[in-house]
Amino acid sequence: MKKFENDMELREVIKSIQLEKPSSDFTTNVMNKVFQERSVVVQLKEEPVLGKGFWVIIALFVALMVIMVIFSGSTSSAEANALIPDINSEGLLIGYRSFFDRLGALPSSIAGISLGFSLLILLERYLTSKKTDLV
Amino acid sequence: MEYKDDNYYIEKVIQGQTNYFSYIVEKYKDIVFSIALKVLKNREDAEELAQESFIKAFKALHSFKGTAKFSTWLYRITYNTCISEVRKNKIRFASTDEIQIKDEAEEMNLDGIPAENREKVIKAAMERLPEDEYMLVLLFYFEEQSVDEIRKVTGLTESNVKVKLYRARKKLYTILHEMMKDDLHTIM
Repeated sequence: MKKFENDMELREVIKSIQLEKPSSDFTTNVMNKVFQERSVVVQLKEEPVLGKGFWVIIALFVALMVIMVIFSGSTSSAEANALIPDINSEGLLIGYRSFFDRLGALPSSIAGISLGFSLLILLERYLTSKKTDLV
Repeated sequence: MEYKDDNYYIEKVIQGQTNYFSYIVEKYKDIVFSIALKVLKNREDAEELAQESFIKAFKALHSFKGTAKFSTWLYRITYNTCISEVRKNKIRFASTDEIQIKDEAEEMNLDGIPAENREKVIKAAMERLPEDEYMLVLLFYFEEQSVDEIRKVTGLTESNVKVKLYRARKKLYTILHEMMKDDLHTIM
């Protein structure tokens, strides 16, 4: 009795069958989708990991730090006026102190959550760019 | 169309010449589509699934290491895509117990089938096999994949593949035997 591996007769007969064929534009459809995929990948690769928005936020943050440093030692509006003569320094000082008083009243967990969230977004962007590098 | 080795086209695609992927699609589209059609039983859905298999293969091409045959790797993607679709749509695979195997059918001489009908008869008989056995028969006899390669495609153990192929072959002969008997009865 023949084993399935040695059934050459059956093998020959099965090899003679015509397989079902897909539509005539099958390859075209596949290649269209392939090229779409390729252009998405190229677009992702060209996008920087740290986008423009990130740098704008960093710049604002640095500006805020600079302002804090400038005004941290100021106890009177007269001193602030000397540094930046053309603004309403008294109003600015009141607003500045009020903002940071309120900020200081927030629990530190809020800062922790914001920092953690930012790091996760950065990690996701970095990993996405690494994944597209593989293609 | 004269084909070079699969690795030639794969290298070209990885280097960025995406259009070379069309050679891969042209070479394997019939068998990928046949597998999908057997599972989904609808030409439109089968075409979509077959297309999806090729897109997945393209996306993962960078991970193909060349240690196994490319066809084995592609069929594995096709097989897994089919399984996902089956689970998603809760498609029931035909029961493997529906066809009662007759041992005497195995002694049937395939030469007894008229040559002009042989291809049609075999194809019709294969269509009556359950989906998983159809695929195994297609991969083993038509594509000449080894038991080990089929094991890699399906994730079954080697002994499981052998048992399924053994049963599929017996079933195929039983179906052919019944078909020939029916034909004879019709003639008489």
